[in-house]
Amino acid sequence: MNDPRMFNTEAYFRYYNPVLSNESYFKYWRVCAAMGPVFLAAFIICWGVLGSNIPPIPADFTADQLAQHFRTNYNEVRAGMSGAMLFGCLYLPWTLAIYKVMQLINRNENDIVSTLQMWGGGLTVVPLVTSSVFWLTGSYRPDELDPKTLQMLYDQGWLLIDMFYFITTIPMVCIGVAGLTDQRAKPLFPRWACWYSIWAGLSFLFELLMPFFKSGLFARQGWLNFWVEFVVWFAYILIITFFTMKAIPRLAKEREEMLGRA
Amino acid sequence: MEHSTAPTIGASRDQRDLVSGILVFIIADLIVFGMLFTGFMVDRSKELAVYNQSANTLDYHLGLLNLLILVTSGLCVVFAVTAAREGRLTALRNWILAAFVIGAGFGVSKAIEYGDKFAHDIGMHTNPFYMYYFALTGAHFLHFLGGMGALAFIWFYSLRHAGAPDFRGKIEAVGLYWHMVDLLWILIFPLLYVLGLQWQPCP
Repeated sequence: MNDPRMFNTEAYFRYYNPVLSNESYFKYWRVCAAMGPVFLAAFIICWGVLGSNIPPIPADFTADQLAQHFRTNYNEVRAGMSGAMLFGCLYLPWTLAIYKVMQLINRNENDIVSTLQMWGGGLTVVPLVTSSVFWLTGSYRPDELDPKTLQMLYDQGWLLIDMFYFITTIPMVCIGVAGLTDQRAKPLFPRWACWYSIWAGLSFLFELLMPFFKSGLFARQGWLNFWVEFVVWFAYILIITFFTMKAIPRLAKEREEMLGRA
Repeated sequence: MEHSTAPTIGASRDQRDLVSGILVFIIADLIVFGMLFTGFMVDRSKELAVYNQSANTLDYHLGLLNLLILVTSGLCVVFAVTAAREGRLTALRNWILAAFVIGAGFGVSKAIEYGDKFAHDIGMHTNPFYMYYFALTGAHFLHFLGGMGALAFIWFYSLRHAGAPDFRGKIEAVGLYWHMVDLLWILIFPLLYVLGLQWQPCP
């Protein structure tokens, strides 16, 4: 209690609804955190498998080849994109759970980084959902649209979801930076997970080259810009969910001890 | 490794935490670069003549100069870390400054090299070799800029926070990162500049 920073810690918890029981205080946190893997599984099935985006239709396919895809698989794409737009929104509650944990990583830091994470993660929903609309539009009247329009819609979807990567980089870097300020002997987010998060976010910079190529490793279907980058992103979701889940009971215990002592 | 079991806010972190953390960043980076190197070798085997012909248009003198610059700069960082371990603050700052100034030479050299390529209308789309050339050296250059920023940060940080408990962890983490930038160039140089080189006899 002699350490003024320790006093701030307790004051923080008292400021945040000391009348609430621990159960009420942490209610919904786990549910929100669990939305990460739910999003991931649903997105892979809907957007990836049904929507024919895992792997993507190659950028060097002709307009006729692409039109053939929409005209043959329109029902799968409609179902897939409808699901992607539904489950894509789960990225938001997942981001909120991380935000709540981040606010308690280091009570002596301000909340700029955690707030930025919340905004960046929340806005990640935009490219996920908006790009799905383009593919959905292509599957809506595939026989009435000409092949070049269908090609344009498919291209536009991919250009949006790939090139809006930086809105996802921001929360990834923020989680890493905030996690590294943790002064606990055993940090909520281990150092390796923080550095992985920072690295993964920055690795998306390879997407800068995506619009310049229709084949090869940098194209949307390329081994680097598709397979590596998407696996890196999916792994990030699982890793951060795991440590967010593990952090919640630890924070609940910390709060209980501090309120009990106050 | 001893850790405090107290609620720990304000407690000093073990410096090895920082080092082991940055190692994850470095390993992940090396894996991706390793994949790029493998991709280069596989694609090269399909169009050997194009790759060798293009490799011969690169100035290996500049590539070698870059290698010497980065290794020398890396050596300065080794001396800086040693100085930090021995508590010699002035020597630490001087070695970091030396590493930065020598390292800046790499930026100048790359500017000359890129300028020459652009002047000859050579870009990523010229052929597959140049796609790899610009991708590998460009990605490396971004890492170089990050490293220069880290060196500048640690120099300024040492002015006020050299006594901070995590200072040694920070400088060792920066040192490790800077060595990774060296290491990548040590691999990029033979792959791009030397592998396809056909030595011309001296006149």
